[in-house]
Amino acid sequence: MGDDYPSMFRSEPMSSVELYIPREVAHDTVTELGELGNVQFNDLNPNVNPFQRSFVGEIRRFEDMARRTRFFISQIEKEKDPILIRPLSDSAPLITVGPRAARTIDELDEVLGEHEARLLQMNESYKTLSERTKELVEARHVLRETAVFFDMAETQQTEVRSSFDDSSAPLLQYDDRETQHSSTLQFELEFVAGTIERSHIPTLERVLWRLLRGNLYMNHTDIAEPFVDPVTGVETRKNVFIIFAHGESILAKIRKVAESMGATLYPIDANADKRADSLREVTARLEDVQTVLYHTGLTRRSELMIIGENLSRWQDVVCKEKAIYETMNFFNYDVRRKTLVAKGWCPTRDLVVIQAALRRATEESGTNVVPILHELPTNKTPPTFVRTNKFTEGFQAIMDSYGTATYQEVNPGLFAIITFPFLFAIMFGDIGHGLIILFAALYMIANERKWARIELGEITAIFFSGRYIILLMGLFSLYTGLIYNDIFSRTLHLWRSGWDWVDMNGMEVGVPTGRVYPFGLDPAWRAADNGLVFSNSYKMKMSVVLGVIHVCLSFTFTLAS
Amino acid sequence: MASLFPVVFLFIVLLGLEVCTYLLVPKGPQQVTIRTAIMLTFAACYLMWMVTYMAQVHPLIAPYRSPKLET
Repeated sequence: MGDDYPSMFRSEPMSSVELYIPREVAHDTVTELGELGNVQFNDLNPNVNPFQRSFVGEIRRFEDMARRTRFFISQIEKEKDPILIRPLSDSAPLITVGPRAARTIDELDEVLGEHEARLLQMNESYKTLSERTKELVEARHVLRETAVFFDMAETQQTEVRSSFDDSSAPLLQYDDRETQHSSTLQFELEFVAGTIERSHIPTLERVLWRLLRGNLYMNHTDIAEPFVDPVTGVETRKNVFIIFAHGESILAKIRKVAESMGATLYPIDANADKRADSLREVTARLEDVQTVLYHTGLTRRSELMIIGENLSRWQDVVCKEKAIYETMNFFNYDVRRKTLVAKGWCPTRDLVVIQAALRRATEESGTNVVPILHELPTNKTPPTFVRTNKFTEGFQAIMDSYGTATYQEVNPGLFAIITFPFLFAIMFGDIGHGLIILFAALYMIANERKWARIELGEITAIFFSGRYIILLMGLFSLYTGLIYNDIFSRTLHLWRSGWDWVDMNGMEVGVPTGRVYPFGLDPAWRAADNGLVFSNSYKMKMSVVLGVIHVCLSFTFTLAS
Repeated sequence: MASLFPVVFLFIVLLGLEVCTYLLVPKGPQQVTIRTAIMLTFAACYLMWMVTYMAQVHPLIAPYRSPKLET
């Protein structure tokens, strides 16, 4: 009964093995065994604190590198335009075994550190530049709006002193401008100008009015565009305000109140020419800052693209190395003889494969020492291992979720391949819908190789991993649909019905013809008013019968175990 | 004609199919899996058909419906 091959009927026979691994070849050996995935190691140092184990330093190093790769991923995700991360199947692997391995890891550490430092620095400068931009934009608004205020003040002023030229005319000489400035000072009040959030304006007005007993003139306008905070992305709406008052103490009070309400004050000159100069200066600086900001953004993006090229294989290496050193922490380190002693379980069938892997590790590391595998006789219960392929994997996973069978017990996963989809089909029972899920499963299986490599969404991944289960469910649903005589809730008349319709007392009654509908439910029942009465009782009885038989089947398994 | 003859006949056919499967599935790493699957399929399908057939052989009630309205 399949003696040469292992079957899914019972879990595989396991052997307890002991490995003596010399220190030089330890890392490469564990890498090879890790790739095989056939050995389960026991923890030989259960009483040791995780911080006191032998390879804590290496693990810390890789944890640091893992943190850096996570940082890169978060930075790439923050970018507005998506950056391509080269998938693992497409990247060239990093060689982590052999004599050059230590150099490769050191280089990787350095590269990751450099990238991280550069990214952090760029983020810092981007933030600072964004803040400068915001300030300069506000200053520009303030300058523009106060120009409007002063123009209004000037027009009123020229009515009084019409013999003087307009002080905003740029053709006047500097001296004349100065004298004019001093003479117009009598009519000009000192002022405080700045920006404040729109919601605070009425409060500010009220407070100042009460405080200064009305000895002020305040004007304000809205700034049309909202300001977006570069860090949080919150929008704030601001207004430009200008407060005219007379007297140093009053001005000082105004400044204090305004700053306490969160306003930003800007030094504005009363002279129109100087204001025009400031406006030009602010605009020029704004352009400069924006250019630098743009270039920083570009540099950051190109840096992230370089990172994106290599990110998958860095992550892969870091993950694997961490796992390798964690496994090596399970081993007993004999310091005097510089060997690691490992104990574990492996399937008896795979002993040869493991020996080959050990020899491969020796060859790759370039040393001459060979790890030794030693089989131990033991009384302990080995772990349960069932060898699955891509078809049986899904069913075994479902059975394992109910609990793993004990060692060498009859494996219910084997029978679940058929019973699980069959019981599903009894509940499903429609040819049309069965065809739909059958085609869905066939589509997934046809694209198996392509889909296995790309990243699927969470829900799609669940369906993809169960594609063979869905295939069988579809096939059995076709069969049960035939039995229930249901295709998209309509009946098939494949044979002659066993009932004739006869008119009796105004109702059509079925008269048995003596024939039985040979396969499945008679279509006459679908047309009948009492069809449900019959089909419900039929289905209930069938469920009970099949359920009882199913349970009896599993009884025989426990007998066999 | 509404007899249980088909039930018994198909049961014998099923037994025959099971024996054939047991003997004829080629040896290989998947022999046990394939054999179990095919045998279980045959048994389950026969069982379902048998219950359906036997439910209709000696019916306890007859279908009735209100007559279709003539247009």
